[in-house]
Order: sequence, then C-alpha cells, then structure tokens
Amino acid sequence: MSESMVALKSLSAEDFLSAKNMERVDDTVAEVFSMMLGFDVESIPAAVPTANPGEMNERTAIVGFSGSMRGSCEVRVDFLAAKDICVAMIGDASAEEEDSISDALGELCNMLAGGWKNRLPSFSAECSLSPPTVISGRDYRVHMSTPSVRLVRTYRFGEHTFHLTLHQEDPITA
Amino acid sequence: MRALIVDDSAVMRKVIERALRQAGLDLSEVLHASNGEEALEILRTEAGSSLRLDIIFSDINMPVMDGIQFLKQRKAEGLAEGVPAVMITTEGSKAFVMDAIAADAKGFICKPFTGDQVKERVLPLLRSA
Repeated sequence: MSESMVALKSLSAEDFLSAKNMERVDDTVAEVFSMMLGFDVESIPAAVPTANPGEMNERTAIVGFSGSMRGSCEVRVDFLAAKDICVAMIGDASAEEEDSISDALGELCNMLAGGWKNRLPSFSAECSLSPPTVISGRDYRVHMSTPSVRLVRTYRFGEHTFHLTLHQEDPITA
Repeated sequence: MRALIVDDSAVMRKVIERALRQAGLDLSEVLHASNGEEALEILRTEAGSSLRLDIIFSDINMPVMDGIQFLKQRKAEGLAEGVPAVMITTEGSKAFVMDAIAADAKGFICKPFTGDQVKERVLPLLRSA
C-alpha cells in the first residue's frame, strides 16, 4: 500500500521517531533546499559546536502545528548561514537586511513544516501551521510546556550547518 | 503584463516575482500587498484607472485577511473581474484547494516551487484570460 493510501490521521511517538519519518524529513529538506535555494544538502551526525556556543549569534525559526498534531518545527542556523539562505532565496541587495534575513528563515521553516506534513496526506488535512516566529540571540533553548518527543536532524549545505527539530507534544504511545 | 502579489512575507513576494521573470513573463509592473485587506484596497483603486491587471498571486495564511477571504470579498465587490487568481501556499491539502476553488481561484501552486512549475500553471491562465 502506498503511503498516500494510508489513512494516517495522527502519529504515534513510535511513528514520529521512526526511520520512515526521518526519511520524510530528509526528503523534505533536500527538496526545499534544492528548489528554493539551489543548494544540495547532506545529512550529518549532530554537529560538534565549532565555537563557544555562548558566542554564536544564531537565528531560530519556529512554526507551530495544531489540530491532529500539536508541536512545532524549528530550524536553527548561525547568522552567516541565515544570511546565505536569504541571498540564495531572493538574490538581491536587500537580502543582507536584518528583516529580510529573519523573513527568509521564517519562510524556509514554513516550507519545511508544510512539506513534511504534506507527505502525510490524511494527517495533513487535519493539521494546521502557525505563522513563523523568528528568534535571534545567543545561547537560548526552546522549552515545551507539555511532555514531548523530538526528532532532531543536522545537515550541511555549502559551508554551513543547519539543524532541524520536530517536536510533538503529548505524543500517542503505541 | 501587470501582476498583483499578495503575501505577508516580503521575501516571498520577491521570490514569486523573480520566478515569474525567470519563467519569461514580461512584467511591466508588479504590485505588492502584505494581506487581503491591502490587496482589496489596491483593486478598488485600480477599478478607477484605465490600467488592467493580468494576474493575481495570493498566499492563503496571512494576518488581517487571509487569501480565501480576499478572493471571496473580491468576488462580492466585483473587483478585477476576469483576472485569474493563483494561490501560492504551503497548505497543499485537499480542503484548502477546495476552499480556494470555491473562492474563484483558477490555479494552485504549492511551495516549494520551481520557475518551470510557475510557468506551467500560469501560461494557460494568461492565454485563456
């Protein structure tokens, strides 16, 4: 049975953390980076920080899921990576402006969240996305107020590292 | 050719405009709006001018007024009649597509997209408009 025929209206924690779901995430990231930015991405083991984390100026974009799944999609990059993403996306001088950089990262997160959920058609119809929120700063963490499971993936594109985390709140246990 | 692009992301409006130019469309003017309300204002102003829009692109999820409400209100006010509207969104579910069609959308492009996909969807609409 093809995946599109599976009436998957919710995801158990086991489904969420499965190799199949990891593959969906990887495929989504590859598609969005290739089509919208012209970058090839490579999945890599979780990165060892190259600088003192407290010194890094990072950008994190978050898009929330509601409906059949509550949770979020979070993308985290350092400032130079965020700038290169913006330049690749719009390709003009305004790509170096602060607002554009945050806007581009938010849109990227939105496409990744949407692309992942659209790979689960029955589930997707019952799940909505929030507008993206972008945080800039140093040495912060995102906390969930309810029990959650996390699927964390790290990728390399060009000279940069890109972290994607899917959170699922109140997961159904199989 | 004149186009109206409605999206709350200024970056995405530029991305769409660039894709249209890469698709070979001869754009003489591109109007930008960041939500449905702003787009309706533009169409009301346009209604009193001799210039004609050729196509409208709209996101669905936007603050103030979303893309579906924008199209419904446009229809109710008889603004830019006959000008095809194409929805560009990450929401690719059947329910969203049905809502968009019911609101008189003539095309649907799911993000992410390529210039070629934009061309494929848009050219037939321009020919039949």
